[in-house]
Amino acid sequence: MVGFFGTSAASDHCHLLPKNGSVHHELIRPHHNRSRSVIRCCSAARGRTRDYYYQVLGITVHSTPQEIKEAYRKLQKKHHPDIAGYKGHDYTLLLNEAYKVLMRDNSMHAGGRGRSRVGLGVGYTGDGYSSWNGPVRSQALFVDENKCIGCRECVHHAARTFAMDDVLGSAHVEIQFGDLDQQIQLAVESCPVNCIHWVESHELPVLEFLSRPQPKEGHGIFGGGWERPRNVFAAAQNFAKRLEREEQELERDQSSRSPNDCEAETEAQAKARRCAGEELRWKTLFDAWNGLIGCRKPGTDR
Amino acid sequence: MRPGYSPFPLLLPPSTSFSPLRTPRIARPQQLLFSYPKKRHRAPPGDSPTRRRRRRRRLAKMAEQLYTVASDSETTGEDKSQPSFPDVAIGIDIGTSKCSVAVWNGHQVELLKNTRNQKGMRSYVMFKDDTLSAGVTGGAAKENAHEERDILSGSAIFNMKRLIGRMDTDEVVQASKTLPFLVQTLGIGVRPFIAALVNNMWRSTTPEEVLAIFLLELKALVEMHLKHPVRNAVLTIPVAFSRFQQTRIERACAMAGLHVLRLMPEPTAVALLYAQQQQQLVNDNMGSGIEKIALIFNMGAGYCDAAVAATAGGVSQIRALSGCTAGGEDILQNIMRHVVPNFDNLYAGQTMDRIQSMSLLRMATQDAIHKLVNQETVEINIDLGNGHKVSKVLDHSEFEQVNRAIFDKCEKIINQCLVDAKLVPEDINDVILVGGCSKIPRIRSLVLGLCKKEISYKNIDALEAAVSGAALEGAIASGVNDPSGSLDLLTIQATPMNLGIRANGDSFAAIIPRNTTVPARRDMLFTTTHDNQTEALIAVYEGEGERAEDNHLLGYFKITGIPAAPKGTVEISVCMDIDATNVLRVFAGVVKPQGPATPPFIEVRMPTLDDGHGWCGQALAKMYGKTLDLAVLPKKLQP
Repeated sequence: MVGFFGTSAASDHCHLLPKNGSVHHELIRPHHNRSRSVIRCCSAARGRTRDYYYQVLGITVHSTPQEIKEAYRKLQKKHHPDIAGYKGHDYTLLLNEAYKVLMRDNSMHAGGRGRSRVGLGVGYTGDGYSSWNGPVRSQALFVDENKCIGCRECVHHAARTFAMDDVLGSAHVEIQFGDLDQQIQLAVESCPVNCIHWVESHELPVLEFLSRPQPKEGHGIFGGGWERPRNVFAAAQNFAKRLEREEQELERDQSSRSPNDCEAETEAQAKARRCAGEELRWKTLFDAWNGLIGCRKPGTDR
Repeated sequence: MRPGYSPFPLLLPPSTSFSPLRTPRIARPQQLLFSYPKKRHRAPPGDSPTRRRRRRRRLAKMAEQLYTVASDSETTGEDKSQPSFPDVAIGIDIGTSKCSVAVWNGHQVELLKNTRNQKGMRSYVMFKDDTLSAGVTGGAAKENAHEERDILSGSAIFNMKRLIGRMDTDEVVQASKTLPFLVQTLGIGVRPFIAALVNNMWRSTTPEEVLAIFLLELKALVEMHLKHPVRNAVLTIPVAFSRFQQTRIERACAMAGLHVLRLMPEPTAVALLYAQQQQQLVNDNMGSGIEKIALIFNMGAGYCDAAVAATAGGVSQIRALSGCTAGGEDILQNIMRHVVPNFDNLYAGQTMDRIQSMSLLRMATQDAIHKLVNQETVEINIDLGNGHKVSKVLDHSEFEQVNRAIFDKCEKIINQCLVDAKLVPEDINDVILVGGCSKIPRIRSLVLGLCKKEISYKNIDALEAAVSGAALEGAIASGVNDPSGSLDLLTIQATPMNLGIRANGDSFAAIIPRNTTVPARRDMLFTTTHDNQTEALIAVYEGEGERAEDNHLLGYFKITGIPAAPKGTVEISVCMDIDATNVLRVFAGVVKPQGPATPPFIEVRMPTLDDGHGWCGQALAKMYGKTLDLAVLPKKLQP
């Protein structure tokens, strides 16, 4: 009965798993006696880790929310008590818990992890790749690497600003305004395909990010590999829009969660948490104090 | 479609490689189907075996299409239904004003009609001398068919759904006092006294009894139609129904000889129907199969509910539910009060002439509201008797003005639903409007406006959706398998209200928060509030209030034999478990210190209360609130 409450969660792994030998059963087995050192987040309160939940759903740790949802639905359709009868109860509970934790984690980490959901935005940091010589100006140089034919004219005229990427066969800006203005102007004009542009500085990070080849989403043996947008300016506009929307969503998420979340702690819980926090903060002092008193007392006794 | 159930092997001669695929049920030869494609199926002489097989496969594909066309006729119906039919649960939608029943007839949901050829039957029970007759047959024969006037004469009880399982302090019960039958209240939290007029005498009854009589007649109708006994039923209930009210519905069903397989909130039944339609589109290669999010708004005569459901692959997952007690009845009463300003004085006591005059007013107002759906203005002209005449022209703006509070309530539950589901209007793919009141232009524009949509979802009938969904759920929960895959569905329900116990004085500690996916199991640790406290009271509540008293009390029990210890050191775990049939079990016991000195755990099925729970909560708080209190133990920090 105690295992039922999840207080000794190590033992109830096997209780909660269906005995009908499903795929996930086998998946979990090898990790059954895994060390506890992986516990790191609050979801481990019951002794279960996120890795464990990923195993329950039979998906990889890198799965997108879409994949989590699909796996969850598929398993629900198999094990939900409506379909499997009462014996599906415990397994469905586990599924629900796994789903809840994984989806919550995904939305909580929307800032860092969440961005990786948009296949486009993997690794976008908001900083450009080129560095600045001197103060940041309102305009910046940008080489459309799709159009660049690799003639090295610009590198020849302004060697500190432009650099040649021999792997991609195109030039890019290494240091903004690394050379004198005249040299740069000459370099821009010398480009035979006019692929060097003056752009707004705030657009630069997105453009530079997008002009690097991005990993493409693969579908089995199809797709995959690397690509970069054909028209980097249009793509940048699109990307900025999506980024904006995501940020709004994040904001909204936070604003909607904080005041009116059903799972927000109750007053009693808040109070308890405050108490606990204070206790934690003072405990070391008290310990020290008690230690001091304890040291002194025997002295006075003597 | 599952390959094992594919109907095409039966079109092939027994010697082909396809024969192992055959399932016994399908393989039963059907003369019509078997012979029909045979004529075209003759292979030309000199064909190689592989080519012949390929041709067969192609022909079989064609035949498969023929098959689905043929399934509309009577040939396939009896084949599929026979093995699974007797256990299939029926779907019942008991509405405040109208009621309907549907069954899964083997390949689709069929709504049953009564002898008067109605699908939606007026919900009431007529009390006459020694006979009782419900609205299912509506007085059976034509000559004594009940008319609206008879129903409003005081001898019929209706609006059972608004009265069932409510205390007399409830404002819904208070509002029901304007109904033509007797609703007496004492205002102390006991059940109201209701009675019907029989031979100028008030004869007492209860809402459960009335509902049972109605269900009995409904069951007879279904049995007459199906020609076999019916045992199980899936009923739809409003989201706002408390667990206590759900037990009342179950009681009424038991009285009528029906076993309740599921009680599903109305919008979730609609969500299931929507999931089926979406799945059908995918099967027909017209849908995309990606997740679709629907907001379902249901407003009937008594209740108003909203739900957000995410649907993909035939699984409809309820993301949020909310509901309130606002409906057509409230609109009707508001308009009646608006038309006759001194309404409450005029109809204070229920004398014969007052009942009659009120029924006239009620009918005229009801009629006006119905007309206002399609007209710009409507005129109400009635003679209420005693020289009291009413003449009024009502237009939309006035109508909306009078019912502003109700529209505000609707707005509130939709917004709450969206917040709970963590969605914005842009995320919603379809808005589904169901229920009688969804025809009111203001309601339509309000819901669509909140969801930023131009039009609502079209393929769902506003009045038949809930009952169809219930019948689908009935078939699924009864384990019916449909070879065409139209029952390959699932609803993942969520809890509409917070569930928790009283702790820290009068505050409410929610253990299972609302909109938690069902089945759900959550636990929470509590501790004692006094040194050497050996007993603790667990009072289980359900609702949205911050204070325990604002919520519905479901039941209570004591944990005894707690080991003596300083306050705050004992850990008491309270675990709540809701299974797929929505049964709530509460487990409680001491988890720290452990050992032979601790008492065994207690398992209690909720709700345990029967009646008069208005008093009960207060009495408990007064008697034991201080001494047997519990405090929430903060979650332990992980190393």
